Amino acid sequence: MNNQMELSFLSLAENEAFARMVISAFFMQINPTMSLISEVRTAVSEAVTNAVVHAYAGKPDGKIFLRAKINVRQAEIEVEDFGCGIEDVAQAMTPFYTSQPDKERTGMGFSLMLSFMDDVQVTSALGSGTLVRMKKNLYSGDEHVP
Amino acid sequence: MVKSKKHDDQLTVYLSGEIDHCSADKLRREIESLLADARIRRLTLDFERVSFMDSSGVGMIIGRYKTMRERGGTMTACGLHPPVEKLFHMAGLHRIIAQEHAGRQEET
Repeated sequence: MNNQMELSFLSLAENEAFARMVISAFFMQINPTMSLISEVRTAVSEAVTNAVVHAYAGKPDGKIFLRAKINVRQAEIEVEDFGCGIEDVAQAMTPFYTSQPDKERTGMGFSLMLSFMDDVQVTSALGSGTLVRMKKNLYSGDEHVP
Repeated sequence: MVKSKKHDDQLTVYLSGEIDHCSADKLRREIESLLADARIRRLTLDFERVSFMDSSGVGMIIGRYKTMRERGGTMTACGLHPPVEKLFHMAGLHRIIAQEHAGRQEET
């Protein structure tokens, strides 16, 4: 199985659930375990929420791209925005760091992406946007997943 | 409006569906409005019908935990499905919020 998809949608909070539905539907083709789907959904949800909440700061007309590629061994997922960008990516990725502590944000978004995916790369430029590229190793069909 | 049940100083809130940034804001307002009743000292969040939660849900839970702590009350969670329970552990919520399993209260 080799497949890829690309989708763009506006920076509305409602599209967080939409992005999760799309990524789940795309991954159904590889007959995933419940746990794989759950991890991928959470990672995508965190990345898209960051774009809505931070990159576009609640502005509803920003564009967010969700791209995914799957092959037998690996899946790659990208979430890209053209919002404000992150000044200090290392700081943003520090567990429990949040730029909005007053809004009940936990600062766990990037930590969860790192926990649930096998590789997370973040490229960002102030004023231009952020690209989150995540990789997930997949089991081949003849392996038994516990 | 979120489903809930009140009995003396006990409030049980029956959460459902997906708890993300989009739904957490609304839930926060609804639960806080239920907690406006100052008699409530014990809050139980029932996750039985929650199919998904991310870090925004964790933020919402910590916020309500703080509300209960400020009034000297307690908070309990029950009905956690494995993915939500995993998130509870990763966020360290199991250390501050008691979990109820099959009708038995477990201090964690």
